[in-house]
Amino acid sequence: MAVHRPPAGARDLLPTDVAQKVWIERRVRHVFEGWGYHRIITATLERLDTLLAGGAVDGETVMQVADEEGDRLGLRPELTASIARAAVTRLELDSGPERLFYNANVFRRYVNSPHGQQHEFYQAGVELLGAGGLLADAEILLLLADSVRSLGLDRPWLLLGEANLTRSLLDPFPPDLRSRVRRALANLDRVALEALDLSPALRDRALFAFDLRGRPQDVLSKLGSLDLDGKAKSALDNLKSLIDLLEDCSDRDFAAQTIVDLSSIQTFDYYTGIVFKLVSATESGLEIIGRGGRYDNLLELYHPQKKSYPGIGFVLDIEALHQVLLPTGKLPPRQPPSHWLVVPKSDRAYTAAFAYANKLRQSTHIVRVELADNDPENGDRLRDTARHRGIVQIAWVDTDGTVKIERLRS
Amino acid sequence: MLTIALPKGSLLEDSIQLLKDVGLDFSAFLESGNRQLQILDPTNTAKGLLVRAQDVPVYVEYGQAQIGIVGYDVLREKSPNVAHLADLKFGGCRLSVAVKDTSPYRRSLDIPPHSRVASKSVRCAREHFNALDLPVEIVPLYGSVELGPITGMSEAIVDLVSTGRTLRENGLIEIDVLFESTARLVAHPLSYRIGSDGITQLVDRLRDRVSCFASIQN
Repeated sequence: MAVHRPPAGARDLLPTDVAQKVWIERRVRHVFEGWGYHRIITATLERLDTLLAGGAVDGETVMQVADEEGDRLGLRPELTASIARAAVTRLELDSGPERLFYNANVFRRYVNSPHGQQHEFYQAGVELLGAGGLLADAEILLLLADSVRSLGLDRPWLLLGEANLTRSLLDPFPPDLRSRVRRALANLDRVALEALDLSPALRDRALFAFDLRGRPQDVLSKLGSLDLDGKAKSALDNLKSLIDLLEDCSDRDFAAQTIVDLSSIQTFDYYTGIVFKLVSATESGLEIIGRGGRYDNLLELYHPQKKSYPGIGFVLDIEALHQVLLPTGKLPPRQPPSHWLVVPKSDRAYTAAFAYANKLRQSTHIVRVELADNDPENGDRLRDTARHRGIVQIAWVDTDGTVKIERLRS
Repeated sequence: MLTIALPKGSLLEDSIQLLKDVGLDFSAFLESGNRQLQILDPTNTAKGLLVRAQDVPVYVEYGQAQIGIVGYDVLREKSPNVAHLADLKFGGCRLSVAVKDTSPYRRSLDIPPHSRVASKSVRCAREHFNALDLPVEIVPLYGSVELGPITGMSEAIVDLVSTGRTLRENGLIEIDVLFESTARLVAHPLSYRIGSDGITQLVDRLRDRVSCFASIQN
C-alpha cells in the first residue's frame, strides 16, 4: 500500500502551529494597519521574467511551472517583485505614496542541496512606494521597530548599511577588480581582499571598508575622516540624519542596538540606499528575523513607460520569528479550546441541540461551540474527553429543549 | 561567551599555541589522557570545542562556534558560508596530484582519459580535472589514499602533501599542485558583523599576533 508523504522540504502546519503563526501575524498586521498600510494579495504564480527582472533573484532558486501556452512561470520566492508589478500598472503612484503590506507564503528551490531544506515559507512585510528621502527611511525603520516590539521581542540587533555609500567607497577601484572587492566584502572574505593585486593605498581602502562596522557614532566619525565625493557625502549625511532621528524617535533600546555595517551589502545592484537586517539573539544563536532596504531603481523596470518611483520596504520571516518566540513562552501553547460542549441527550434532541448551540454562538465575541453524541452508558468518558481538551462547560440538551448546564472542574 | 572550534589533528598544537599567545588557554586538549570535547579557558572568557577538521566550518556556519581554525583545503572542499578573516600562516601544505614514480605521467594532462583518481578531496579533485577538460572517475576514499595507485585501484591520487615523505616512502611522485593551503581563521558571519562577546577584539589580537610573528620570521 502506498504511504503518502509530503515532498521533501514541505511542511504541514497543524492547528497549534497555525494558532502560533496567527498570533504573530495578527500582532504585526495590527501594527502595519496602524501606520496606514493596506493589505495587498498578489498571485502566487508569476511569470518568471517578472520575478527575475530586479536582478536580486536567481532563476535556479525559483520553483518553475509551465502554463498551458508553455510560458515559464514560477512560484514567487518573495513579494516585492509582484507588488512592484501590480503597483506601477494598477495603482496611482503619481497621486501620492502607496503604503502596502502583505502576509503570504513564498517558495524557494535549493540547488545542489542534499539537506532537505524547507521550501515553503511565510512572510509578512511592507512596501512604501513613491516616497523617497529621510522621512520614508525613518518611517520604515520605526515601523520595523514597532512591529517586533508588538511581539515582545527583546532588543534585536539592527545591522544597517548604505548601498550608495559602499558603492562610492568602491568607485576608486579599477572596474575589473571592483566586483571582486565587493564580493569579498559581502562574503566577509578578508583573506581574498589581502590577496588581490592592489596598490597599497587601495588595499588600505579595501581593508578599511571591510573593518568598518560598529556603533553608529564610531563608524560615522571614521567615515567623516575620509576624502569623499559629493555623492558619498550626501549618502553619509542622510545616514547621519537617519541615525539621529532614530535615536530621538524610537525608544533608546532600538537605537542602542544599531550597528552600522558598510559591508552588509549584496553582491548584486538592487538596493539604492539604506539596507538592513534585523537579528535576534536566542539561546541557540543569532537569527535573522527581518530584512529590507531602499530600491529606487526597481519600479521603473515594471512600469510600461519606464517611469521611475522610489520604493522601500522590509520583510519579516514568520518561521524565524516563530523559532525565536517559542522558547519565550509568549506563543499560545495550543489551539484555543472550545468554550462549550453541547450534548443532545438522545437522538430526538438533535434539533434542540443545534438550536441551543446557535444561540450560544450569538455573541459579539467568538464563542466556540462543538457538539457530541451522548453516551448514556458512560457520561464520565464524555466529561474526561471535554476536560482533556480544555472545555469547561457542558450543556445537556433534552428533547423538549430544556438545558442543564454543567461546569467541569479541572 | 565566545565558542571557538578547534580542529583535531595536525593543526591542533599550533592553534592552541596561537590562542595561548593571545591569552586563551586550551592546552588541556593536548594532555594525553584528555577525553573532553568541550573545555572552558581558565579565565572563563571562552569555550573551546574539539571537533574533526572537516566539521570546524560546520559548527561555525551554524553559529554554534563563533570562531574556528581550519585548513584552507577544507574550506575549498566544502565552501561553507563563513567569514574568512585571516591566513594564520601555519600548517602549510598543498593539495597535489601524485602518481606512481614508475608511471610515465608527469603532469595531470598525461593521465589517460577515464582513468580513476582516488581522493579524500572529491570536489577539489573534480574541479581540477574538469578545468583541464579531462574526464576521470573520482574514487572517494577516507584515508591512506596512497594505497590507490599501489593496489592498482587508481592511476593517480589527489591528496594533501606537506613534506612529501609519505609519498616518497610509498613510491609515489607529485606531478601537479592544485593549491597551497595554510590554517585559516574563520567566523560565523552574523556574529562577526554584530561583534558581540568581544569577537572583534579577539580577531584583531589574533591577526596582530600572526603578522607580528610573520615579520619576525622574514
